[in-house]
Amino acid sequence: MRIRPYVEFAKRAFSREGTYRTQVFTHIGSVLLRVFLLSMVWTALYRNNGEQAGITLPAMITYATLALLLDLIYGVNGAYVIREKIREGSIAIDLMRPISVPFYVLADTVGQTLFASMQIIPALGLSLFIVHLDAPATLGAAFAFLVAVLLGFVVNFFLDLIMATITFWTMEIFGVQLMVQFISSLLSGSLVPLYFFPPGIIQQLAFASPFAAIYNAPLSIYIGKVTGLQIVTTLGTQVVWAFVFGVVALGLWRLGERQVVIQGG
Amino acid sequence: MASRYLATYRQFWRLNTLTMLEYKTNFFIWLFFTIIYHGVAVGTIWIMMSRFPSMNGWSWREVFFLYALYMLAHTLNNTFFFTIGDVPTHVQEGDFDRFLVRPLDPLFQVLSQPGQIWPDELALAVVVFGVAQSLVHLQWTAASAVLLVLAMFGGALIDFAIQLAVATLSFWVIRLDTLRWVVMSLENDFTRYPLSIYNRGVRILLAYVFPFAFMNYFPATTLLHKTSGPGYTINPALGWLTPVIGMLWFAGAYLFWRAGVNHYKGTGS
Repeated sequence: MRIRPYVEFAKRAFSREGTYRTQVFTHIGSVLLRVFLLSMVWTALYRNNGEQAGITLPAMITYATLALLLDLIYGVNGAYVIREKIREGSIAIDLMRPISVPFYVLADTVGQTLFASMQIIPALGLSLFIVHLDAPATLGAAFAFLVAVLLGFVVNFFLDLIMATITFWTMEIFGVQLMVQFISSLLSGSLVPLYFFPPGIIQQLAFASPFAAIYNAPLSIYIGKVTGLQIVTTLGTQVVWAFVFGVVALGLWRLGERQVVIQGG
Repeated sequence: MASRYLATYRQFWRLNTLTMLEYKTNFFIWLFFTIIYHGVAVGTIWIMMSRFPSMNGWSWREVFFLYALYMLAHTLNNTFFFTIGDVPTHVQEGDFDRFLVRPLDPLFQVLSQPGQIWPDELALAVVVFGVAQSLVHLQWTAASAVLLVLAMFGGALIDFAIQLAVATLSFWVIRLDTLRWVVMSLENDFTRYPLSIYNRGVRILLAYVFPFAFMNYFPATTLLHKTSGPGYTINPALGWLTPVIGMLWFAGAYLFWRAGVNHYKGTGS
Protein backbone atom coordinates (compact mmCIF):
# COMPACT_ATOMS: atom_id res chain seq x y z
CA MET A 1 0.00 0.00 0.00
CA ARG A 2 1.37 3.39 -0.95
CA ILE A 3 1.31 5.83 1.94
CA ARG A 4 1.60 9.07 -0.03
CA PRO A 5 -2.08 9.51 -1.05
CA TYR A 6 -3.13 9.02 2.57
CA VAL A 7 -0.81 11.77 3.78
CA GLU A 8 -2.46 13.98 1.16
CA PHE A 9 -5.95 12.99 2.44
CA ALA A 10 -4.93 13.94 5.98
CA LYS A 11 -3.57 17.30 4.81
CA ARG A 12 -6.76 18.06 2.92
CA ALA A 13 -8.90 17.19 5.95
CA PHE A 14 -6.72 19.49 8.06
CA SER A 15 -7.15 22.50 5.79
CA ARG A 16 -10.84 21.76 5.26
CA GLU A 17 -11.43 21.96 9.01
CA GLY A 18 -9.69 25.33 9.08
CA THR A 19 -12.53 26.88 7.13
CA TYR A 20 -15.04 26.43 9.97
CA ARG A 21 -13.80 29.25 12.20
CA THR A 22 -16.93 29.88 14.27
CA GLN A 23 -17.11 26.21 15.18
CA VAL A 24 -13.69 26.54 16.76
CA PHE A 25 -14.94 29.31 19.05
CA THR A 26 -18.00 27.29 19.96
CA HIS A 27 -15.85 24.26 20.81
CA ILE A 28 -13.41 26.21 22.94
CA GLY A 29 -16.21 28.16 24.61
CA SER A 30 -18.05 24.97 25.48
CA VAL A 31 -14.93 23.45 27.01
CA LEU A 32 -14.30 26.55 29.14
CA LEU A 33 -17.89 26.66 30.36
CA ARG A 34 -17.72 23.03 31.42
CA VAL A 35 -14.31 23.46 33.05
CA PHE A 36 -15.87 26.26 35.07
CA LEU A 37 -18.94 24.18 35.97
CA LEU A 38 -17.04 21.03 36.92
CA SER A 39 -14.51 22.93 39.02
CA MET A 40 -17.39 24.33 41.08
CA VAL A 41 -19.12 20.94 41.35
CA TRP A 42 -15.99 19.12 42.51
CA THR A 43 -14.97 21.94 44.84
CA ALA A 44 -18.37 21.73 46.54
CA LEU A 45 -18.19 17.93 46.78
CA TYR A 46 -14.69 17.98 48.29
CA ARG A 47 -15.57 20.82 50.68
CA ASN A 48 -18.59 18.90 51.97
CA ASN A 49 -17.15 15.39 52.06
CA GLY A 50 -13.35 15.54 52.12
CA GLU A 51 -10.92 13.64 49.93
CA GLN A 52 -11.95 10.28 48.41
CA ALA A 53 -10.12 7.32 46.83
CA GLY A 54 -6.75 9.06 47.27
CA ILE A 55 -7.47 11.72 44.66
CA THR A 56 -6.90 15.26 45.91
CA LEU A 57 -9.09 18.17 44.80
CA PRO A 58 -6.37 19.73 42.58
CA ALA A 59 -5.77 16.30 40.99
CA MET A 60 -9.53 15.90 40.42
CA ILE A 61 -9.87 19.32 38.81
CA THR A 62 -6.85 18.53 36.62
CA TYR A 63 -8.46 15.21 35.67
CA ALA A 64 -11.80 16.81 34.79
CA THR A 65 -10.19 19.62 32.78
CA LEU A 66 -7.96 17.26 30.80
CA ALA A 67 -10.95 15.00 30.11
CA LEU A 68 -12.75 17.97 28.58
CA LEU A 69 -9.69 18.86 26.49
CA LEU A 70 -9.44 15.24 25.30
CA ASP A 71 -13.10 15.51 24.25
CA LEU A 72 -11.90 17.97 21.62
CA ILE A 73 -9.78 15.35 19.88
CA TYR A 74 -11.74 12.18 20.66
CA GLY A 75 -14.95 13.87 19.60
CA VAL A 76 -13.91 14.17 15.95
CA ASN A 77 -15.61 10.98 14.63
CA GLY A 78 -14.32 11.05 11.05
CA ALA A 79 -15.80 7.59 10.43
CA TYR A 80 -19.20 9.22 10.33
CA VAL A 81 -18.77 10.04 6.59
CA ILE A 82 -19.12 6.32 5.89
CA ARG A 83 -22.73 6.49 7.04
CA GLU A 84 -23.42 9.33 4.61
CA LYS A 85 -21.64 7.51 1.78
CA ILE A 86 -23.65 4.35 2.31
CA ARG A 87 -26.90 6.31 2.57
CA GLU A 88 -26.26 8.21 -0.63
CA GLY A 89 -24.83 5.19 -2.40
CA SER A 90 -21.60 6.99 -3.29
CA ILE A 91 -19.79 4.21 -1.39
CA ALA A 92 -19.97 2.16 -4.63
CA ILE A 93 -17.73 4.68 -6.38
CA ASP A 94 -15.33 4.81 -3.44
CA LEU A 95 -15.02 1.03 -3.53
CA MET A 96 -13.95 1.21 -7.18
CA ARG A 97 -11.16 3.67 -6.41
CA PRO A 98 -7.67 2.22 -5.96
CA ILE A 99 -7.62 3.11 -2.26
CA SER A 100 -8.63 1.42 0.97
CA VAL A 101 -11.74 3.21 2.24
CA PRO A 102 -11.11 2.48 5.95
CA PHE A 103 -7.57 3.86 5.62
CA TYR A 104 -8.87 6.85 3.70
CA VAL A 105 -11.25 7.49 6.63
CA LEU A 106 -8.38 7.03 9.09
CA ALA A 107 -6.26 9.55 7.18
CA ASP A 108 -9.15 11.98 7.09
CA THR A 109 -9.73 11.53 10.83
CA VAL A 110 -6.03 12.07 11.57
CA GLY A 111 -6.13 15.33 9.61
CA GLN A 112 -9.24 16.51 11.42
CA THR A 113 -7.82 15.43 14.77
CA LEU A 114 -4.57 17.32 14.19
CA PHE A 115 -6.62 20.43 13.52
CA ALA A 116 -8.75 19.77 16.59
CA SER A 117 -5.67 19.30 18.76
CA MET A 118 -4.53 22.79 17.82
CA GLN A 119 -7.64 24.04 19.63
CA ILE A 120 -6.25 22.45 22.76
CA ILE A 121 -3.57 25.12 23.07
CA PRO A 122 -5.90 28.13 23.42
CA ALA A 123 -8.44 26.03 25.36
CA LEU A 124 -5.74 24.96 27.81
CA GLY A 125 -4.34 28.48 28.08
CA LEU A 126 -7.73 29.98 28.83
CA SER A 127 -8.60 27.15 31.24
CA LEU A 128 -5.61 28.21 33.32
CA PHE A 129 -7.41 31.48 34.02
CA ILE A 130 -10.29 29.48 35.51
CA VAL A 131 -8.58 26.60 37.35
CA HIS A 132 -5.19 25.57 38.62
CA LEU A 133 -3.81 22.49 36.87
CA ASP A 134 -1.31 20.05 38.37
CA ALA A 135 1.78 19.20 36.34
CA PRO A 136 2.14 15.52 35.34
CA ALA A 137 3.31 13.28 38.20
CA THR A 138 6.75 12.72 36.62
CA LEU A 139 8.49 13.36 33.30
CA GLY A 140 8.05 9.68 32.45
CA ALA A 141 4.36 9.98 33.27
CA ALA A 142 4.09 12.95 30.91
CA PHE A 143 5.57 10.90 28.10
CA ALA A 144 3.44 7.84 28.90
CA PHE A 145 0.38 10.13 29.02
CA LEU A 146 1.00 11.23 25.43
CA VAL A 147 1.45 7.63 24.28
CA ALA A 148 -1.75 6.66 26.11
CA VAL A 149 -3.67 9.51 24.44
CA LEU A 150 -2.47 8.27 21.06
CA LEU A 151 -3.56 4.70 21.85
CA GLY A 152 -6.86 6.01 23.20
CA PHE A 153 -7.34 7.79 19.88
CA VAL A 154 -6.82 4.53 17.99
CA VAL A 155 -9.29 2.60 20.19
CA ASN A 156 -11.81 5.42 19.84
CA PHE A 157 -11.36 5.57 16.06
CA PHE A 158 -11.93 1.85 15.61
CA LEU A 159 -15.00 2.02 17.85
CA ASP A 160 -16.39 4.81 15.64
CA LEU A 161 -15.48 2.78 12.55
CA ILE A 162 -17.32 -0.28 13.87
CA MET A 163 -20.40 1.82 14.52
CA ALA A 164 -20.23 3.44 11.07
CA THR A 165 -19.72 0.08 9.33
CA ILE A 166 -22.94 -1.25 10.83
CA THR A 167 -24.69 1.15 8.40
CA PHE A 168 -24.13 -1.51 5.73
CA TRP A 169 -26.88 -3.52 7.43
CA THR A 170 -29.13 -0.88 8.97
CA MET A 171 -29.60 2.81 8.29
CA GLU A 172 -31.00 3.57 11.73
CA ILE A 173 -27.54 3.90 13.17
CA PHE A 174 -27.40 7.50 14.33
CA GLY A 175 -29.40 6.91 17.50
CA VAL A 176 -27.47 3.73 18.27
CA GLN A 177 -24.18 5.53 17.75
CA LEU A 178 -25.20 8.28 20.16
CA MET A 179 -26.22 5.66 22.72
CA VAL A 180 -22.82 3.98 22.54
CA GLN A 181 -21.23 7.42 22.87
CA PHE A 182 -23.18 8.19 26.04
CA ILE A 183 -22.49 4.81 27.60
CA SER A 184 -18.85 5.24 26.65
CA SER A 185 -18.71 8.70 28.23
CA LEU A 186 -19.70 7.16 31.56
CA LEU A 187 -17.69 3.91 31.42
CA SER A 188 -14.55 5.54 29.99
CA GLY A 189 -14.19 7.70 33.07
CA SER A 190 -14.60 10.94 31.15
CA LEU A 191 -17.45 12.17 33.40
CA VAL A 192 -16.47 10.62 36.73
CA PRO A 193 -13.14 8.85 37.38
CA LEU A 194 -13.61 5.08 37.57
CA TYR A 195 -11.95 5.23 41.03
CA PHE A 196 -15.15 6.84 42.35
CA PHE A 197 -17.42 4.06 41.05
CA PRO A 198 -19.02 2.01 43.84
CA PRO A 199 -16.49 -0.71 44.76
CA GLY A 200 -17.46 -4.15 43.55
CA ILE A 201 -18.75 -5.57 40.33
CA ILE A 202 -19.72 -2.26 38.68
CA GLN A 203 -16.30 -0.76 39.24
CA GLN A 204 -14.49 -3.91 38.10
CA LEU A 205 -16.60 -4.04 34.94
CA ALA A 206 -15.87 -0.39 34.22
CA PHE A 207 -12.12 -0.88 34.67
CA ALA A 208 -12.21 -3.98 32.46
CA SER A 209 -14.31 -2.41 29.73
CA PRO A 210 -12.63 -1.30 26.50
CA PHE A 211 -13.95 2.22 27.11
CA ALA A 212 -11.48 2.56 30.00
CA ALA A 213 -8.71 2.53 27.39
CA ILE A 214 -10.00 5.83 26.00
CA TYR A 215 -10.06 8.29 28.92
CA ASN A 216 -9.23 6.41 32.10
CA ALA A 217 -5.82 5.13 30.91
CA PRO A 218 -4.17 8.44 29.93
CA LEU A 219 -5.76 10.45 32.74
CA SER A 220 -4.82 7.94 35.46
CA ILE A 221 -1.22 8.08 34.26
CA TYR A 222 -1.23 11.88 34.22
CA ILE A 223 -2.50 12.35 37.78
CA GLY A 224 -0.18 9.61 39.07
CA LYS A 225 -2.86 7.07 40.03
CA VAL A 226 -1.04 4.57 37.82
CA THR A 227 2.74 4.46 38.27
CA GLY A 228 5.84 2.38 37.51
CA LEU A 229 5.23 -1.04 36.06
CA GLN A 230 1.44 -0.45 36.10
CA ILE A 231 1.98 2.09 33.33
CA VAL A 232 3.29 -0.66 31.09
CA THR A 233 0.29 -2.87 31.88
CA THR A 234 -2.09 0.02 31.19
CA LEU A 235 -0.49 0.83 27.84
CA GLY A 236 -0.41 -2.89 27.02
CA THR A 237 -4.15 -3.20 27.70
CA GLN A 238 -4.77 -0.25 25.40
CA VAL A 239 -2.76 -1.94 22.65
CA VAL A 240 -4.82 -5.12 23.08
CA TRP A 241 -8.11 -3.21 22.79
CA ALA A 242 -6.84 -1.24 19.80
CA PHE A 243 -5.92 -4.52 18.12
CA VAL A 244 -9.23 -6.26 18.96
CA PHE A 245 -11.33 -3.31 17.81
CA GLY A 246 -9.19 -2.94 14.70
CA VAL A 247 -9.69 -6.58 13.72
CA VAL A 248 -13.45 -6.36 14.36
CA ALA A 249 -13.77 -3.10 12.42
CA LEU A 250 -11.85 -4.32 9.38
CA GLY A 251 -13.62 -7.70 9.48
CA LEU A 252 -17.03 -6.01 9.53
CA TRP A 253 -15.88 -3.76 6.72
CA ARG A 254 -14.92 -6.76 4.58
CA LEU A 255 -18.34 -8.34 5.15
CA GLY A 256 -20.19 -5.13 4.36
CA GLU A 257 -18.13 -4.47 1.29
CA ARG A 258 -18.87 -7.93 -0.06
CA GLN A 259 -22.58 -7.34 0.49
CA VAL A 260 -22.47 -4.14 -1.59
CA VAL A 261 -20.55 -5.85 -4.39
CA ILE A 262 -22.99 -8.78 -4.50
CA GLN A 263 -26.17 -6.70 -4.24
CA GLY A 264 -24.87 -3.92 -6.40
CA GLY A 265 -25.27 -1.28 -3.65
CA MET B 1 -60.72 32.38 13.40
CA ALA B 2 -60.00 30.34 16.49
CA SER B 3 -61.44 27.25 14.87
CA ARG B 4 -58.96 27.59 12.01
CA TYR B 5 -56.07 27.57 14.45
CA LEU B 6 -57.56 24.60 16.23
CA ALA B 7 -58.03 22.66 12.99
CA THR B 8 -54.46 23.42 11.88
CA TYR B 9 -53.08 22.38 15.22
CA ARG B 10 -55.03 19.16 15.14
CA GLN B 11 -53.55 18.42 11.70
CA PHE B 12 -50.09 19.10 13.11
CA TRP B 13 -50.48 16.41 15.76
CA ARG B 14 -52.13 14.05 13.30
CA LEU B 15 -49.09 14.32 11.01
CA ASN B 16 -46.70 13.85 13.92
CA THR B 17 -48.56 10.72 14.98
CA LEU B 18 -48.60 9.38 11.43
CA THR B 19 -44.84 9.93 11.17
CA MET B 20 -44.40 8.01 14.39
CA LEU B 21 -46.49 5.09 13.14
CA GLU B 22 -44.67 5.08 9.80
CA TYR B 23 -41.17 5.04 11.28
CA LYS B 24 -41.67 2.62 14.16
CA THR B 25 -38.06 1.40 14.37
CA ASN B 26 -36.84 4.95 14.37
CA PHE B 27 -39.28 5.81 17.13
CA PHE B 28 -38.10 2.98 19.35
CA ILE B 29 -34.42 3.68 18.72
CA TRP B 30 -34.91 7.31 19.72
CA LEU B 31 -36.98 6.32 22.73
CA PHE B 32 -34.22 3.97 23.81
CA PHE B 33 -31.66 6.68 23.15
CA THR B 34 -33.63 9.10 25.33
CA ILE B 35 -33.70 6.57 28.14
CA ILE B 36 -29.93 6.03 27.86
CA TYR B 37 -29.28 9.77 27.73
CA HIS B 38 -31.15 10.45 30.97
CA GLY B 39 -29.86 7.21 32.46
CA VAL B 40 -26.26 8.34 31.96
CA ALA B 41 -27.03 11.79 33.41
CA VAL B 42 -28.66 10.31 36.51
CA GLY B 43 -26.02 7.55 36.70
CA THR B 44 -23.29 10.18 36.76
CA ILE B 45 -24.92 11.95 39.70
CA TRP B 46 -25.44 8.64 41.49
CA ILE B 47 -21.83 7.48 41.02
CA MET B 48 -20.41 10.86 41.97
CA MET B 49 -22.50 11.03 45.10
CA SER B 50 -21.91 7.42 46.11
CA ARG B 51 -18.46 8.72 47.17
CA PHE B 52 -19.44 12.26 48.01
CA PRO B 53 -22.85 11.88 49.70
CA SER B 54 -23.50 15.57 50.30
CA MET B 55 -23.62 18.39 47.77
CA ASN B 56 -24.10 21.46 49.95
CA GLY B 57 -26.54 19.52 52.07
CA TRP B 58 -28.33 17.85 49.14
CA SER B 59 -28.33 14.05 49.02
CA TRP B 60 -28.20 12.22 45.71
CA ARG B 61 -31.91 11.55 45.95
CA GLU B 62 -32.57 15.26 46.28
CA VAL B 63 -30.25 16.10 43.38
CA PHE B 64 -32.11 13.45 41.37
CA PHE B 65 -35.39 15.13 42.33
CA LEU B 66 -33.91 18.40 41.05
CA TYR B 67 -33.14 16.68 37.74
CA ALA B 68 -36.63 15.15 37.52
CA LEU B 69 -38.33 18.47 38.18
CA TYR B 70 -36.28 20.12 35.45
CA MET B 71 -37.03 17.25 33.10
CA LEU B 72 -40.80 17.69 33.58
CA ALA B 73 -40.75 21.36 32.58
CA HIS B 74 -38.13 20.97 29.88
CA THR B 75 -39.81 18.05 28.12
CA LEU B 76 -43.19 19.78 28.35
CA ASN B 77 -41.63 22.70 26.49
CA ASN B 78 -39.87 20.39 24.04
CA THR B 79 -43.06 18.53 23.21
CA PHE B 80 -45.07 21.60 22.31
CA PHE B 81 -42.56 24.28 21.35
CA PHE B 82 -39.56 22.34 20.03
CA THR B 83 -39.65 23.83 16.54
CA ILE B 84 -38.85 27.33 17.80
CA GLY B 85 -35.21 26.26 17.47
CA ASP B 86 -35.69 26.06 13.68
CA VAL B 87 -36.26 29.80 13.30
CA PRO B 88 -32.58 30.62 12.61
CA THR B 89 -32.59 28.00 9.82
CA HIS B 90 -35.85 29.36 8.38
CA VAL B 91 -34.36 32.87 8.33
CA GLN B 92 -31.03 31.76 6.86
CA GLU B 93 -32.58 29.70 4.11
CA GLY B 94 -35.15 32.38 3.33
CA ASP B 95 -38.24 30.27 3.85
CA PHE B 96 -39.43 32.36 6.78
CA ASP B 97 -41.28 34.47 4.21
CA ARG B 98 -43.74 31.64 3.76
CA PHE B 99 -45.03 32.24 7.29
CA LEU B 100 -45.63 35.92 6.55
CA VAL B 101 -47.85 35.46 3.52
CA ARG B 102 -50.13 32.87 5.08
CA PRO B 103 -53.20 34.05 6.99
CA LEU B 104 -52.15 32.67 10.38
CA ASP B 105 -49.92 34.13 13.09
CA PRO B 106 -46.23 33.52 12.17
CA LEU B 107 -45.30 32.29 15.65
CA PHE B 108 -48.17 29.81 15.59
CA GLN B 109 -47.01 28.56 12.21
CA VAL B 110 -43.43 28.10 13.43
CA LEU B 111 -44.73 26.09 16.38
CA SER B 112 -46.88 23.84 14.23
CA GLN B 113 -44.33 22.61 11.70
CA PRO B 114 -44.76 18.84 11.70
CA GLY B 115 -41.72 16.69 12.28
CA GLN B 116 -40.55 13.88 14.47
CA ILE B 117 -42.25 15.39 17.48
CA TRP B 118 -43.62 12.87 19.91
CA PRO B 119 -44.59 13.05 23.57
CA ASP B 120 -42.36 10.08 24.47
CA GLU B 121 -39.84 12.12 26.44
CA LEU B 122 -42.62 13.86 28.38
CA ALA B 123 -44.03 10.46 29.30
CA LEU B 124 -40.58 9.36 30.41
CA ALA B 125 -40.25 12.53 32.49
CA VAL B 126 -43.47 11.69 34.33
CA VAL B 127 -42.14 8.20 35.10
CA VAL B 128 -38.76 9.58 36.24
CA PHE B 129 -40.51 12.13 38.41
CA GLY B 130 -42.67 9.40 39.91
CA VAL B 131 -39.53 7.54 40.97
CA ALA B 132 -37.81 10.68 42.23
CA GLN B 133 -40.73 11.85 44.36
CA SER B 134 -40.94 8.48 46.07
CA LEU B 135 -37.16 8.42 46.70
CA VAL B 136 -37.30 11.76 48.52
CA HIS B 137 -40.64 10.87 50.21
CA LEU B 138 -42.31 13.99 48.89
CA GLN B 139 -45.11 15.09 51.23
CA TRP B 140 -48.22 15.25 49.09
CA THR B 141 -50.58 18.01 50.17
CA ALA B 142 -52.95 20.17 48.14
CA ALA B 143 -50.34 22.92 48.29
CA SER B 144 -47.46 20.76 47.08
CA ALA B 145 -49.56 19.39 44.22
CA VAL B 146 -50.52 22.88 43.09
CA LEU B 147 -46.93 24.09 43.42
CA LEU B 148 -45.77 21.16 41.33
CA VAL B 149 -48.19 21.89 38.51
CA LEU B 150 -47.30 25.58 38.60
CA ALA B 151 -43.59 24.74 38.52
CA MET B 152 -44.05 22.40 35.57
CA PHE B 153 -46.09 24.78 33.43
CA GLY B 154 -44.30 27.94 34.58
CA GLY B 155 -40.94 26.23 34.06
CA ALA B 156 -41.89 25.20 30.55
CA LEU B 157 -42.90 28.80 29.87
CA ILE B 158 -39.53 30.11 31.12
CA ASP B 159 -37.77 27.56 28.96
CA PHE B 160 -39.83 28.49 25.91
CA ALA B 161 -39.55 32.25 26.48
CA ILE B 162 -35.76 32.13 26.66
CA GLN B 163 -35.54 30.00 23.53
CA LEU B 164 -37.95 32.35 21.79
CA ALA B 165 -35.78 35.34 22.68
CA VAL B 166 -32.61 33.61 21.47
CA ALA B 167 -34.31 32.49 18.25
CA THR B 168 -35.57 36.02 17.66
CA LEU B 169 -32.00 37.31 17.63
CA SER B 170 -31.56 35.47 14.34
CA PHE B 171 -33.55 38.26 12.62
CA TRP B 172 -30.53 40.49 13.26
CA VAL B 173 -27.59 38.14 13.78
CA ILE B 174 -26.77 35.38 11.33
CA ARG B 175 -24.34 33.33 13.38
CA LEU B 176 -25.99 32.44 16.63
CA ASP B 177 -24.38 29.07 17.28
CA THR B 178 -22.12 30.17 20.09
CA LEU B 179 -24.80 32.05 22.04
CA ARG B 180 -27.29 29.23 21.57
CA TRP B 181 -24.70 26.82 22.79
CA VAL B 182 -23.96 28.82 25.94
CA VAL B 183 -27.65 29.17 26.80
CA MET B 184 -28.22 25.47 26.16
CA SER B 185 -25.32 24.54 28.40
CA LEU B 186 -26.51 26.86 31.18
CA GLU B 187 -29.86 25.20 30.90
CA ASN B 188 -28.89 21.54 30.56
CA ASP B 189 -25.71 21.34 32.60
CA PHE B 190 -25.93 24.05 35.25
CA THR B 191 -29.48 23.14 36.34
CA ARG B 192 -28.36 19.66 37.38
CA TYR B 193 -26.84 20.82 40.65
CA PRO B 194 -28.12 22.95 43.53
CA LEU B 195 -27.69 26.66 42.83
CA SER B 196 -25.88 27.16 46.13
CA ILE B 197 -22.70 25.44 44.88
CA TYR B 198 -22.05 28.22 42.37
CA ASN B 199 -20.34 31.54 42.88
CA ARG B 200 -22.28 34.80 43.08
CA GLY B 201 -22.00 35.58 39.36
CA VAL B 202 -23.51 32.29 38.22
CA ARG B 203 -26.22 32.45 40.90
CA ILE B 204 -27.29 35.88 39.68
CA LEU B 205 -27.15 34.72 36.06
CA LEU B 206 -29.34 31.67 36.69
CA ALA B 207 -31.80 33.43 38.99
CA TYR B 208 -32.27 36.78 37.28
CA VAL B 209 -30.78 36.88 33.76
CA PHE B 210 -31.69 33.44 32.39
CA PRO B 211 -33.98 32.33 35.24
CA PHE B 212 -33.50 28.59 34.76
CA ALA B 213 -33.19 28.25 38.55
CA PHE B 214 -36.94 28.86 38.74
CA MET B 215 -37.53 25.74 36.65
CA ASN B 216 -36.27 23.41 39.33
CA TYR B 217 -34.09 24.82 42.11
CA PHE B 218 -36.48 27.27 43.78
CA PRO B 219 -39.57 25.02 43.54
CA ALA B 220 -37.47 22.10 44.83
CA THR B 221 -36.21 24.05 47.84
CA THR B 222 -39.81 24.82 48.76
CA LEU B 223 -41.11 21.30 48.12
CA LEU B 224 -38.24 19.62 50.00
CA HIS B 225 -38.11 22.24 52.77
CA LYS B 226 -34.49 22.96 51.98
CA THR B 227 -34.83 26.70 52.22
CA SER B 228 -31.92 27.17 54.57
CA GLY B 229 -28.39 25.87 54.43
CA PRO B 230 -24.98 26.80 55.78
CA GLY B 231 -24.71 30.56 55.32
CA TYR B 232 -27.89 31.20 53.35
CA THR B 233 -31.65 31.21 53.62
CA ILE B 234 -34.11 31.23 50.75
CA ASN B 235 -37.60 32.62 51.04
CA PRO B 236 -39.92 29.61 50.50
CA ALA B 237 -42.26 31.92 48.57
CA LEU B 238 -39.69 32.03 45.74
CA GLY B 239 -40.71 28.54 44.69
CA TRP B 240 -44.22 29.84 43.95
CA LEU B 241 -42.95 32.56 41.65
CA THR B 242 -42.09 30.26 38.71
CA PRO B 243 -45.28 30.95 36.69
CA VAL B 244 -44.96 34.69 37.33
CA ILE B 245 -41.36 34.72 36.11
CA GLY B 246 -42.46 32.57 33.16
CA MET B 247 -45.22 34.98 32.17
CA LEU B 248 -42.99 38.04 32.55
CA TRP B 249 -40.27 36.47 30.46
CA PHE B 250 -42.74 35.29 27.89
CA ALA B 251 -44.34 38.75 27.62
CA GLY B 252 -40.90 40.30 27.07
CA ALA B 253 -39.81 37.62 24.63
CA TYR B 254 -43.05 37.92 22.66
CA LEU B 255 -42.70 41.71 22.29
CA PHE B 256 -39.12 41.14 21.17
CA TRP B 257 -40.34 38.53 18.68
CA ARG B 258 -42.89 40.98 17.26
CA ALA B 259 -40.16 43.58 16.86
CA GLY B 260 -38.00 40.95 15.16
CA VAL B 261 -40.72 39.98 12.70
CA ASN B 262 -41.36 43.67 11.89
CA HIS B 263 -37.67 44.22 11.36
CA TYR B 264 -37.57 41.21 9.04
CA LYS B 265 -40.53 42.57 7.07
CA GLY B 266 -38.90 46.00 6.91
CA THR B 267 -35.58 44.92 5.49
CA GLY B 268 -37.07 42.08 3.54
CA SER B 269 -33.94 40.09 4.16
